[in-house]
Amino acid sequence: MSIWNYVVTAHKPTNVTHSCVGNFTSPQDLNLIIAKCTRIEIHLLSPQGLQPMLDVPIYGRIATLELFRPHGEAQDYLFIATERYKFCVLQWDSETAELVTRAMGDVSDRIGRPTDNGQIGIIDPDCRLIGLHLYDGLFKVIPFDNKGQLKEAFNIRLEELQVLDIKFLYGCSKPTIVVLYQDNKDARHVKTYEVALKDKDFVEGPWSQNNLDNGADLLIPVPPPLCGVLIIGEETIVYCSANAFKAIPIRPSITKAYGRVDPDGSRYLLGDHTGLLSLLVITHEKEKVTGLKIEPLGETSIASTISYLDNAFVYIGSSYGDSQLIKLNLQPDAKGSYVEVLERYVNLGPIVDFCVVDLERQGQGQVVTCSGAYKDGSLRVVRNGIGINEQASVELQGIKGMWSLRSSTDDPFDTFLVVSFISETRILAMNLEDELEETEIEGFCSQVQTLFCHDAVHNQLVQVTSNSVRLVSSTTRELRNEWFAPSGYSVNVATANATQVLLATGGGHLVYLEIGDGILHEVKHAQLEYEISCLDINPIGENPNHSHLAAVGMWTDISVRVFSLPDLNLVTKEHLGGEIIPRSVLLCAFEGISYLLCALGDGHLLNFMLNTNTGELTDRKKVSLGTQPITLRTFSSKNTTHVFAASDRPTVIYSSNKKLLYSNVNLKEVSHMCPFNSAAFPDSLAIAKEGELTIGTIDDIQKLHIRSIPLGEHARRICHQEQSRTFAICSLKYNPTGGEDSEMHFVRLLDDQTFEFISTYSLDTYEYGCFIISCSFSDDNNVYYCVGTAYVLPEENEPTKGRILVFTVEDGKLQLIAEKETKGAVYCLNAFNGKLLAAINQKIQLYKWVLRDDGTHELQSECGHHGHILALYVQTRGDFIVVGDLMKSISLLIYKHEEGAIEERARDYNANWMSAVEILDDDIYLGAENNFNLFTVRKNSEGATDEERGRLEVVGEYHLGEFINRFRHGSLVMRLPDSDVGQIPTVIFGTINGVIGVIASLPHEQYVFLEKLQSNLRKVIKGVGGLSHEQWRSFNNEKKTVEARNFLDGDLIESFLDLNRSRMDEISKAMDVSVEELCKRVEELTRLH
Amino acid sequence: MVMDAPNPSSSAASSFLANLPSRGHFSSTVVSSNPGGMRAYICDHDTSPPEGQHIKTNQQNILIRSLTLKKQRGDSSSKDGSDGSRKRNAEKVLERSSAKKTNNQINSRQEGSNSQTATRDLHNLTVERLRALLKAKGLSTKGKKASFQSSYSFNIHAFGRYRSLICLIVFCLLHTSQCSGCQLVYYCP
Repeated sequence: MSIWNYVVTAHKPTNVTHSCVGNFTSPQDLNLIIAKCTRIEIHLLSPQGLQPMLDVPIYGRIATLELFRPHGEAQDYLFIATERYKFCVLQWDSETAELVTRAMGDVSDRIGRPTDNGQIGIIDPDCRLIGLHLYDGLFKVIPFDNKGQLKEAFNIRLEELQVLDIKFLYGCSKPTIVVLYQDNKDARHVKTYEVALKDKDFVEGPWSQNNLDNGADLLIPVPPPLCGVLIIGEETIVYCSANAFKAIPIRPSITKAYGRVDPDGSRYLLGDHTGLLSLLVITHEKEKVTGLKIEPLGETSIASTISYLDNAFVYIGSSYGDSQLIKLNLQPDAKGSYVEVLERYVNLGPIVDFCVVDLERQGQGQVVTCSGAYKDGSLRVVRNGIGINEQASVELQGIKGMWSLRSSTDDPFDTFLVVSFISETRILAMNLEDELEETEIEGFCSQVQTLFCHDAVHNQLVQVTSNSVRLVSSTTRELRNEWFAPSGYSVNVATANATQVLLATGGGHLVYLEIGDGILHEVKHAQLEYEISCLDINPIGENPNHSHLAAVGMWTDISVRVFSLPDLNLVTKEHLGGEIIPRSVLLCAFEGISYLLCALGDGHLLNFMLNTNTGELTDRKKVSLGTQPITLRTFSSKNTTHVFAASDRPTVIYSSNKKLLYSNVNLKEVSHMCPFNSAAFPDSLAIAKEGELTIGTIDDIQKLHIRSIPLGEHARRICHQEQSRTFAICSLKYNPTGGEDSEMHFVRLLDDQTFEFISTYSLDTYEYGCFIISCSFSDDNNVYYCVGTAYVLPEENEPTKGRILVFTVEDGKLQLIAEKETKGAVYCLNAFNGKLLAAINQKIQLYKWVLRDDGTHELQSECGHHGHILALYVQTRGDFIVVGDLMKSISLLIYKHEEGAIEERARDYNANWMSAVEILDDDIYLGAENNFNLFTVRKNSEGATDEERGRLEVVGEYHLGEFINRFRHGSLVMRLPDSDVGQIPTVIFGTINGVIGVIASLPHEQYVFLEKLQSNLRKVIKGVGGLSHEQWRSFNNEKKTVEARNFLDGDLIESFLDLNRSRMDEISKAMDVSVEELCKRVEELTRLH
Repeated sequence: MVMDAPNPSSSAASSFLANLPSRGHFSSTVVSSNPGGMRAYICDHDTSPPEGQHIKTNQQNILIRSLTLKKQRGDSSSKDGSDGSRKRNAEKVLERSSAKKTNNQINSRQEGSNSQTATRDLHNLTVERLRALLKAKGLSTKGKKASFQSSYSFNIHAFGRYRSLICLIVFCLLHTSQCSGCQLVYYCP
């Protein structure tokens, strides 16, 4: 790999951190707005449910998200503040469908200690000011003027240093905040302050309340007429206002989120840490609070945000499990729950660990993640591309073409499958037992190869062979009419639809026939200057049985031409360039846009936008799908038309957001495909591949497929063992009723196909599973699972004891073979030169696998290396060991065989707190740290002095904005050795927010090109809310902020493809590269993930 | 997690769940939350804010700003005493500590602002007791009960502000940001 890296998101963040409901997109629209860390999603509420509208990238990690209504406005504005102290106020312009920046700014202070409990951003209910608590002891005010414009911000000193929550109170003549804080004796209190905007200071507020519940953590301001605030504790809930105080005990729980139900604030939904949803009711009489009631409703995912939508529907946003759309029922179900989960929105976060495997052994990687936490823990199998689920298959060699036919025009299902071979045609049909058996259509000629078949009007079928076109009744199956090719000529290529036939004979003759009831009319004949290589008359206009355009691919001049029908007048001629002839053309329409697709003999595909009125071809784009000739065919899935490109790398072409997307199919080589929608196999495809005919259904058409395996416990580490075809995980299960020591830790063995637990090893009390690998040792052919553990005792700050457990899998059971006690937590294990390398607290320790006299094995310490704070992440390559330290960045160690010693070779002297490391190549190492940055360091072997050689030089820096827990070498896509992207090595990463990303090492020339493209794109694609891309991607920690270098933002670069043509032209001009070339190069990159 | 079995309170939950607000959404029986795809937003228009709406923070030191503001207002209202009773605690730390003594036993009861409590406490004192207090502070013991109270408050404010300034100077010198005595935070200008 190289230092020039391209970072791109394969799976967007799914961890929902904030949500709110309001009239954002128009005064009449009710919207749900969801923040997923670096993206916001805008949904529209409708009688039919939630309609997704827009997915908006934000150049920052969203710290607060609030909707508010400035004075005199008919719709809400959106306030967003980011963790790097930027904020913006957005307004939706419904005319242009754009997000307009109403205000933005930087609210950072030069000095100040960032708050420990996260940033707080609140807006006065009467819209007089925005309040921010970003640094301890300071409250920042951004006042509104009377026209709703924001004014200069200022800080007010806040005496309370350990602030837990701040909210604005409703119904106060002066803006008033209520502050929940902890004093230096750890007691919790609330206090109110009025914000005196003129004096820029606080004035003592109307009331305060001391000595609250020790777990009080959340304030809920109550709107008028009741006003006041609810203080949510772990054991009590208190309502407090200037003249009322009510408290109720609750069963111990930590409330994570709340959602207001009624506009008058008399009912609230509370979600706790176990996923229990409760309803809190404020009972009141004559605008006086008389009491509080709390009722459990049922279980949801552990909520991070709750938004009451409408009509008893509630959105539960979750960080630890799938987000949900639920309905609150008036009557409980059999389990006593009032909650009905209607929809689950996949959330991969937090990805704690993952592994890359090829379970189906097709050469394509799949990612298996440890996702979710607590009771919502799960494994997720993430696969790129579209899967074919095989229903039936027969061995058939040498298939040259396939078509499905119906037994009558109005039959909804296909009956016949015509399979053509080099010297014969066979017809298969479903029999009464739903089996595929060979049959006959008497009117068809079965002794020759069929060139084309189609259903035709009037219950007829058309068969085209090299010397004739036969029209056959589909009911009697008898020949009704036949058109013969002129003597001396044979038909080379042919196509047809329900009413038309177009064929080409040798010598460049193009013949157009129309199908009548029992008759074939030769309507037109044209002589072209060259031979014809392919044809298509797929109807894309309003009439599904008739086309008024024909697409023709030519030999010799390598062109594609559009002719009008029925007169066969040339409308458009487009030279394709190059020397490769077109092998398949197809007219098709996606999302109301017509296209002409043209596949070449070398696996490239050209697509053009087609103006169906003028026949004009525009917006030419070229992509490489494979290396062999492609055959194009349309098919339908879920009432949408897609195109299947059969080749050595079968691909489904579909459209999303009016953009063509290419998704590979998990099959190796497909020569032909045709849709086969029979009663027994509805919505299926017949696929010819490698001497086999397969019938199968196709997955939903989307890029990534995610399969969930709920565990009901929290998986923390995972690894796969090829030999035993198993996964092993370290997991922990919480027992919510069991008090403090109610965690149980396990090593579990799972079948890699069914994902069922097949064996479990329970760890000791207080013993945590920290790491697991599958490895083997020198002089021993067996493969083992090695597990590193730590005894986490409540009274210890750092574990002082741990174990290394060695298991083998015998008859599907985990058998403990050896164990070794360690003097600390075993944070990492690596197979290393036939030995086992462990990271134990501050130390790197090497163990050898020794055969004892009694025939058993044991781990014996060989050598070690001290000198880390905590060695958390270790990767090895040859004799080199790369260590990621808790706070001392990356260091490089070397194992010296002769001396049997591990020595430090070099280190990065920055104080990065690491979260993951990976070795890119011999000299370059990749690290991720806890300020959401990525960096690369390089070993300096050629340094002149020891000092230089002992220093790892930082060569790349980038702010990813995601917390990475794990890197793994591998790829999500099938890599063809002879394609361009097949040469690009990649590393996959998984993050807390559920992002799966890819880091690809580019050749220098490509990097330079893309860097130029990125800087041009920055000028065209603006940050929403005026946030700067350059600032967002700059490496940033407490000590420094420096511009990103040697990393490119693939998400920005790939959004080039979403630009409209004029913007593309703008960039093309600035780059001095054609739009077609730019599209091709960017599209190639999209195929990395 | 296992839900509690239906219990007598379940009917209560049903009654509480009645009449949930509705604005006509989610009314159709077919609730499909994903009828269309999510369009990724590409922002290719100018996103800089309107003039004057690029917000920055006032860089003036909080204390200097507060002193300047006070000076501008001629420092009249604070002498008045009535406004002073609504000032924040920081400026009358002493008063708070004295108020705390009385509050300690009754912390959980609803209390007004500390200064109000202090004033209220003063109200409860007899003239004799107030005289004794003032004597102890070396103040005049002449006048009516109300004026005793206001002069007592004022002197505490003065002392409180004085102490704040000491903190500022000391902690600027030490480059420390927090005063452990009164828990104020100051930053060196």
